[in-house]
Parts: sequence; C-alpha cells; structure tokens
Amino acid sequence: MADQPAQFSVAGGPIPPRRRRGAGRKEAWAGVLFAFPWMVSLAVFTVLPLLLTFVLAQSKVQITGQLQWIGLSNYDQVFADPAFWTSAENTFRFAVILVPVKLVLALVLALLLNRATALSGFYRTVFYLPFLMPAVAGSVVFILLLTPDAGPINLILRAAGLDPPDWIRDPNAALWTLIMISLWPLGVETLVFLGGLQNIPKDVSEAAELDSPRRWHKLWWITLPLITPMILFNLVIGIITSFQVFTQALVIGGTTGAPAESTLLYMVVLYRAAFRYFNMGYAAAMATVLFVFVLALTLLIFTTARSWVFYEGDSR
Amino acid sequence: MTSGPFAPKGRFGRRRFLGGTAALGALAALPRSAFAQDQALSMWTPGGSPLFCDMHQGLIDGWAAANGVQATLQCGIGDGTEYTQVLIGSIAGGTAPDLSIVWDAPIALGIQGAFRPLDDLMANSTIGAETWPAGLLKSCQFGGKTYGLPVTAGLFGMFFNPGMFAAKGMPSDRASMPKTWDEMRAMSKEFTVWNGDTLETAGFMPPRNNVIAIVFAGLNGSKFYDGENQKYTMDAEANIAMFNYFLDWLNEEYRGDINVIDRSGNFNDGYPNDTSGLGPAFQEGRLAGLTSGSWLMGDLYNDPKPVFDRYDIAGLPYGPSGTTSVSGFWPNWMVMPEGSQNPEEAFKYLEYMSVEGVAEWFRVIPDIPTNANAKQVVPEVVVQTQGEAFAVDITAFWAGQAKIVTPMWDSPVEAFGQDQLARAMEKIYTKVSTPAEALAEAQTSSQAELDRFLAG
Repeated sequence: MADQPAQFSVAGGPIPPRRRRGAGRKEAWAGVLFAFPWMVSLAVFTVLPLLLTFVLAQSKVQITGQLQWIGLSNYDQVFADPAFWTSAENTFRFAVILVPVKLVLALVLALLLNRATALSGFYRTVFYLPFLMPAVAGSVVFILLLTPDAGPINLILRAAGLDPPDWIRDPNAALWTLIMISLWPLGVETLVFLGGLQNIPKDVSEAAELDSPRRWHKLWWITLPLITPMILFNLVIGIITSFQVFTQALVIGGTTGAPAESTLLYMVVLYRAAFRYFNMGYAAAMATVLFVFVLALTLLIFTTARSWVFYEGDSR
Repeated sequence: MTSGPFAPKGRFGRRRFLGGTAALGALAALPRSAFAQDQALSMWTPGGSPLFCDMHQGLIDGWAAANGVQATLQCGIGDGTEYTQVLIGSIAGGTAPDLSIVWDAPIALGIQGAFRPLDDLMANSTIGAETWPAGLLKSCQFGGKTYGLPVTAGLFGMFFNPGMFAAKGMPSDRASMPKTWDEMRAMSKEFTVWNGDTLETAGFMPPRNNVIAIVFAGLNGSKFYDGENQKYTMDAEANIAMFNYFLDWLNEEYRGDINVIDRSGNFNDGYPNDTSGLGPAFQEGRLAGLTSGSWLMGDLYNDPKPVFDRYDIAGLPYGPSGTTSVSGFWPNWMVMPEGSQNPEEAFKYLEYMSVEGVAEWFRVIPDIPTNANAKQVVPEVVVQTQGEAFAVDITAFWAGQAKIVTPMWDSPVEAFGQDQLARAMEKIYTKVSTPAEALAEAQTSSQAELDRFLAG
C-alpha cells in the first residue's frame, strides 16, 4: 500500500497517469494562448484606462496629454459643484424607480413568453427588437409620440377624457418620461428571465401544481426562488447601467438637462465637463466617484444575495 | 482545415494568414509621417449636409489640383460636441488633421494647446490681423495669441415678412422696421391674434436663445462677459433690466406663459422644433419678424416651404439702455490642430479659403465672408429666390452688420458661461426665479469657473 498515495487522490479518485497530466498542462497552455488576445485587450482597453482615470482625476489635464499633479483638487471642485449634486440626485431617483419597475415588467413579460404558443418565437423576437434599436433613434421616436398637441399618446389620452402633461417640457414630468423611454428596451432582461424559467425542472413545476392549484403560490414558492440567480444578475446589471444612462438624457434634455435641470443625469454632467468644458480632470474625478459608488453598491448586493439567492444543489 | 475542399492547399494556409496579419499590423504601426510625403493636406469639418460637404470637397480638390498636391477632406463626422469629441481625440492621439473647421469658439481649446497659434504665419501673409474685423478676430484671441480665424460667419439681423406688414396697412420697407425695443413691442401688438389658448399670429418675440440674448445685451448697451477685464457681468443692472423688460412684454402680450407660445408653434427660430415637431411660425406666415442668423437665407426655402414669396432683413432694434443697433455673429472658425503634419501647406489653404474659397462658399451657402480681401460675390440661393438686385443689396447689408458686431465668443470658459446663461434664461422665462436671482446665480458659477481657469 506504499504506493497508494501515488495512485489515489484525497477524494479517492484515480490520479491520471503522468503522460495524461502533461497533456492537460498543454491544453491549459493552449487555453491561455487562446484567451491571450482577450486578456491583452482587457488589460489595454479596460484595466489600463481605469487606472489612468484615477491618475487623471488627480491631475490638471491638457488636451495634448500633459498632466500636472494637483492632488484632490478635482474632487473638491466636483463636490462643491451644484450640478454634481443635482445630477446625482436625479440619477439616484432615476435608478431607484427604473430598476425595480424594469425587473417586474421583464419578469411579467418572460412569464407570458414562457407559455408555449404557436407565436412564441415571434413574440420573443418582437420584444427583443427594441434592444437592437439605437438609443438615439428610440428617443426621437418617443419625442414624436409624446408631442404635446399632435402626438398620438396625448391624442389618445385626451380622447379618453384625461388631461395629459407636457411630457418633455414640464419639469415635473420630464424625468418620468425619461424613465418611461428607458423601460422600453426590455429584451435582454426578459431573455435572461426566460432562460431561468425554462430551466425550472418540469417535475418540480408539476409537483407544485399538484400541491396547490393557485398559480401565485407556484410563482411565489417555486418559480421566484428558482430564478433568484437571474434576478440577481438583472438587478446588478440594471443598477450599473441605470447609473450610466446617457444617450436618452442627452437627446431629451441636452447638456443643460432641460427643462429646469430635471433630466440632468450624472453621465451628462460628466460628458459635458469633458467634451464641452474640456475639464478632463473634473470628468475623471466624477467617473471615479461613480465607479466607487457603483462598486460599493454591487458588493452590498452580493453580500445580501447570500440570504436570498438560491442555486441548484445549494444545501440551504 | 486549410486542406479542405473549400480551401485549396497553398491558397490560404496558417502561415499565409499569420504573415498577412503581421504585414497588416506593421502597416498600421507605421508612423503617420511615413504617409506625409503623399498626403500633403488633410482637413476635417463638422456638419454633413450633402451641399456643405460637396462644396468643401470641390474647394479642396480644386486647390489641390491647382497647387499639385494631394489633399483629403473628412466631412460628415458629426456636429457640435460630437465633432469636438472626435477632433480632440485625434489631437490627443497624434492623428490630428492639418486643418479643421470648428463651430465652437476656439479659445478654450487653443489655450489648452489643442490648436496651433497662427500669429507667426499670419504676420507675413495676405491675411494678417489687420485684414479681419477686430470684433470677430477677438473670438479667436487670448493672451496675445490667435488660435483660429473666423473665415465666414453667420451674422444676426431681423428677418421680416413684408406681406404681413402690408396686409396691416403698415410700411413694409427695411427703413420702417422698429429702431428701438419700445417700437418693436408697439408694432408687435398689431399682429397678436389668439384663438382660445392658441397663439395664431404674432409680431415679434422676446429672445429665447442664449446666443441671441448675448446680442440683445449688446443692443441694450451691456454684455454678459467683459473680455477686456476678464470678468463675467451677467448680473449687471442693464441685463437684469433687459430680462424684466422681456418678462413684462411676455406678460402683457403673450399671457405670461412661454409654454402657451410653444404649444402654438415654433416662434423662436426658422426651423421645425426638435421636441414639439411644430413648424417655424415665420415661414408659416404667423410671425412678422424673427431675429436670426444670416444662414437662414439658405434654409428659408427648404422644407417647410414658406407661405410667402418675399422676405427682407433689417438691423436689430436697441434697448432702453442702448444707443445704437449692433449685430452678433457665429463664425465658422478654421483652426490648425496641434500636431499638424503640414502646417505650411495648411496655412496656404487657409489663406486661399479666407480670400478666394469663401467666395464660392458664400455663393453656395450664405455664410458671410469676413476677411477684408475676400472676393465679393452674391449668394446663389438668394439670387434664385429674391432676385439679383436683392442679393447685391443684402450682401452689402451684411457687410455693414459685420462692422457693428458686439463682442461674443471671447471667454476662455465660453461653453460653461453660455450654459449658465441658458439655464438662467429658462428659470426666468418659466418664472422659477426672478431675473436678478437667476443672473446672480449664473454670475457666481461662471465667474468661479473663469477664476479657476485663470488661476491655472
């Protein structure tokens, strides 16, 4: 039995012969080699710019590339700027409303699309299509739909006896309009949910139907817990993207966030600082503040996720 | 499988693929200077209408052929901030064009080292500083350096519809147009017609655009930025009085509500409104007079077609604190980005454009040539729509307007200041703040930004 350790691992399985291990190492190297271009591009186009942004945030930057170290002055300027706080508040309100509403709508849509009908494939394509449309084009279409007097939406609302708002020019309505426009492309979230729903084992689903005829019981006790990994994914991605919303806000409110700064979102202020006011250091400082905030929020969600996300085979 | 039936051996193997990739990589890695001998001049321009691009393409091709050099034009990259973004990216990346047109004042980027000062090149040329209207050239100058040239400019005037005046039995010639704001308000009343909550027709409108507001400040003997002393003066007494005057006008004639006006049509400029989709009231024959830039002469007969045959243009009336009419301008600046590979050739083209090229430019698109040596022509579109005599007359009119421009575009933090003014005007017209409050807020933030900038 002296040679037992050489033949069996701790788990008791057979150890592959030496030649096989060599082949595995070769395969591993091949994997690294294939991944190498991607790793290089990750380093050059993602990690390096990220690190450089932190450097720029503490520098006075000339367009021609000259940097002058100024410590935390850019952060002082950012936190003293009313536009920063206005945009942060608007963006926070935008995200707090948009993310949960989008998740619920995408889930409802996924539940409907999960029903097998002759037109299932057609509907899935149709609901995914808005995601493929450029945000600028989508925003312009909504602007036309929401035109105060001649827009179809207001015409319908008036015909129903309602007094519609001036969706884009009323400061009290403009942010809601922006949220509405951002809700439109639900395709990706819906597909993620749909993937989760279709992975629920049939026997579990049938057993739930036998236990209780009420559909919401099945939804609440079986479906939702089993798709919590998808909910987590959509939640994290939703939060990250909602804090980075830019195009719709720029199309509707311009660089001043009209009307009355109600559509002035964080990324618009960052963009105008960089490319309209040419204050790259300020823009970089804003970018790092957003990065740290979203990172902290994501970590917080992952921490709480341990108590509400269930993975298949999880013993809890 | 390179040996498969669809990839015959010897035609496309791994070695050839890798060799080809390496060759392409090496080509891409070649320094830009390797191309400089063949590529004598490269120029970029914002915009992108076929007419604009074709006109510039024709100019640069003609110049290149006449001078035996190669030249390329990039047109259609984008407008406004989008274009600036691409341009500064190319400057920072060392792939800048030799020349560029810009539609934002060049001072801010010039000071940051993005544009090459032209003073040395101008000193011994046919387009020296003395050949440019001083007011326009100041939009390119800071700290004794000239960062660009305003080769053509849109100049501001009062477009008016003589037919609407004649229909009211009022004189409709240029000389009879209002000379003061009080006259403008009095005349405007004659045209105001309401149909319920809809403004059917109007005479004149208080300025809503921040660039035009700068011109109106000049008409009221004031300014928002004092370039000589490098100070913002947004909350000057005359500026507060100006907006109080406009609010009073709004309350008296337009029910005190700009939203009612905006829901009735686009009474602010000569183009369909981006958000409401409503057409321009001036072309619809619902607005008697409109303050606009000279570029409208080229666009006036585009979609939508105006309901009238003839228009005319008068000088702008001055305000209670002003003493004389002034005009404003919005140039097409030409700049030489830092890193230009062929500065000598680029400046030769700049000379050509300033004197000869602008003539063709003005003939095709009515942006006004500004250099004193520029060849005189009349805009074709005006000849076609209004006749030769009017075209000659209006060209002389714009030449006069160029001599009375109020200082504009001369702040090193121009975009920031203009955004603050736009924000203040929105608060004033929506009555969220009084003019004094809104302008004081704009003054504080603009001056702080200027101070930060000047402090280095």
